[in-house]
Amino acid sequence: MTADVRDILELERPVTPEITKESFLNTKTRKFERVKTTKRPEGMHREVFALLYNDNKDAPPILPTDTALGIGSGYKQAKARLGMKKVRRWEWAPFSNPARNDGAIFHHWKRVSDDSREYPFAKFNKQLNIPAYTLNEYNTHLRTNPTKWSKAQTDHLFDLAKRFDLRFIIMADRWDRANYGIKTVEDLKERYYEVLGILTKLKGSGDKKIYVFDSDHERRRKEQLKKLFDRTPKQVEEEFMLLNEFKKIEARKKERERKTQDLQKLISQADQQGEHNFNASTSRKQEKKLYKKKIQSQPRPSKVDSVVNAVESAGIKFSDLRGSGVSLRSQKMKLPANIGQKKAKALEQTIQEFKVDPAPPPTEEISNVFNELRSDMVLLCELRTALATCLFELESLKHQYEAICIGKTLNIPAPLAMKEEGTKTLESIIDVVGSPHMSGV
Amino acid sequence: MSSLNIPTDFGPDSGGRVKGLTIVKPIVYGNIARSFGKKREEDGHTHQWTVYVKPYYNEDMSAYVKKVHFKLHESYANPNRIVTKPPYEVTETGWGEFEVVIKIYFHDPIERPVTLYHILKLFQSPVVEPESSLSLADSKKGLVSEAYEEIVFQEPTQLMQHYLTNVQPITSGPWKHDTDFEKKKVRTLQNIVEVKGKIKSEIVVLKDKLKLARETIEKFKNELAKVQKVPVP
Repeated sequence: MTADVRDILELERPVTPEITKESFLNTKTRKFERVKTTKRPEGMHREVFALLYNDNKDAPPILPTDTALGIGSGYKQAKARLGMKKVRRWEWAPFSNPARNDGAIFHHWKRVSDDSREYPFAKFNKQLNIPAYTLNEYNTHLRTNPTKWSKAQTDHLFDLAKRFDLRFIIMADRWDRANYGIKTVEDLKERYYEVLGILTKLKGSGDKKIYVFDSDHERRRKEQLKKLFDRTPKQVEEEFMLLNEFKKIEARKKERERKTQDLQKLISQADQQGEHNFNASTSRKQEKKLYKKKIQSQPRPSKVDSVVNAVESAGIKFSDLRGSGVSLRSQKMKLPANIGQKKAKALEQTIQEFKVDPAPPPTEEISNVFNELRSDMVLLCELRTALATCLFELESLKHQYEAICIGKTLNIPAPLAMKEEGTKTLESIIDVVGSPHMSGV
Repeated sequence: MSSLNIPTDFGPDSGGRVKGLTIVKPIVYGNIARSFGKKREEDGHTHQWTVYVKPYYNEDMSAYVKKVHFKLHESYANPNRIVTKPPYEVTETGWGEFEVVIKIYFHDPIERPVTLYHILKLFQSPVVEPESSLSLADSKKGLVSEAYEEIVFQEPTQLMQHYLTNVQPITSGPWKHDTDFEKKKVRTLQNIVEVKGKIKSEIVVLKDKLKLARETIEKFKNELAKVQKVPVP
């Protein structure tokens, strides 16, 4: 620890070993170990030995002890046993700081052995190299803006720079306002770096990069900071609130966009799937099929179709287990791995809702039909969710409208006002389908 | 098996697969269980059960099945039971239900074994669903929990095809199962087709509703836009 500190301070280690707590303890433990090794029987592990014996060959204490007779009795002894080395002397001695040019003498405590060394903190007094200019140089090159900076003002600036080592805040504080007018920190910096740049250029050391001080930027920055600092608690609160609102609005907007997209996808899928299903017909339900076909052939809003034509099926794509080898038929009915947990759960519920055996006997026909059924079920679930979303949106639009035009309202068409399509009988479904020449739109 | 006198030469493409051929072998697997009626003193066992795999049709599976491996719960003395000839079954006593892994190996090692999973059933479920694969037989037999399955041999090897097509009946008497799977198949199929019809009609209705809803949303939005544009005095 002390060594580290010494390293940091770049102090040399003393020749004589210092008496520290460590060195004191080290000598003691070394002695103790030597005693132990002589006593240890041949072939016995050190750890085992350590369990048997302690340094005084006494049983280890059961309770912590602080009596003078105890084993760890060091600090209770009347006489402190410090090192064997002679104590090094300290003396109250005068010293001079080379950083000072007035030769003032101060006193401090120091070791006698350190006598010849100079004051160690002197090296921290760094001298800055502030350039100087001649009158000639000034007149030819440095009179850039005489109305703002006269020669006297510039001289004062460089004097202060030298005195305060470019601490501009202090320089601005000590600026002689009475004689040289009011200048801000930015003004001082701007002029100083301007002169510095010109002088560097004159002296032709081109490899050094000239620092350009952007005073405008700095002024604006400080102005903004001041404004930020000057806000009242109420303003801060309002700003916070507004930001939160903004975030909420953005999130809602995104959510809405996402839902609309999903919806469009679904509708186009439903259309395609529907057409497909009606073409590949089941033999029964001929009349119904014809009837539905009529409905199907009604033109749909083309914009929906055009938006999403890429079919990423809302149903399930079961693997068809091509290839040779032995397999179990029930493998065909396994849900593919890409079905999400949420979808699988919804599917499970739908299977329950319609009272279908979740694991039917897997003949070829049953497994095919069962897979088609579940694919349709997934589509059904998605459609239900989509419709719910739409209805919610409708309600919210309606409320917005009512809030603006008090007394007026928008009418949600009757088929949409109905609830719980899941519990309807087949007949009522056909009834609804039967009146789709909906004029209400 | 060697006594069956199989022709060793299958032509130039010996061991190759028979293109376009699919052979299906339906099977039934599951367990029966019978309660002791009380807890046995020595080990606390309460039931005797038999887990089995048997052909759905009256045929000797040993023609094509090399062995059946039943993997029982690890608490049994030797949980891996291998049965090489019919009947493919393991009878044990126990007190708990667990999953039995049944692996069927075929005579042709090129054909990979298939694995079935069966939850050993000892206790009747409180709610007996008619559609469930469980059926409670008469009290003499105890509880029966069995399922129907089909082993599908897609493009079997020629050797396997030979085994699969030369199958003898296993018994000269009637071959029956505790569960009437034929009836169950028909009922299940009917039910699925019926539900499918329902779902199709509901999809049509939903689609129309969705269309209407979307159009109404557009309409509402337009109305709202109109109203919002009216300058507030």
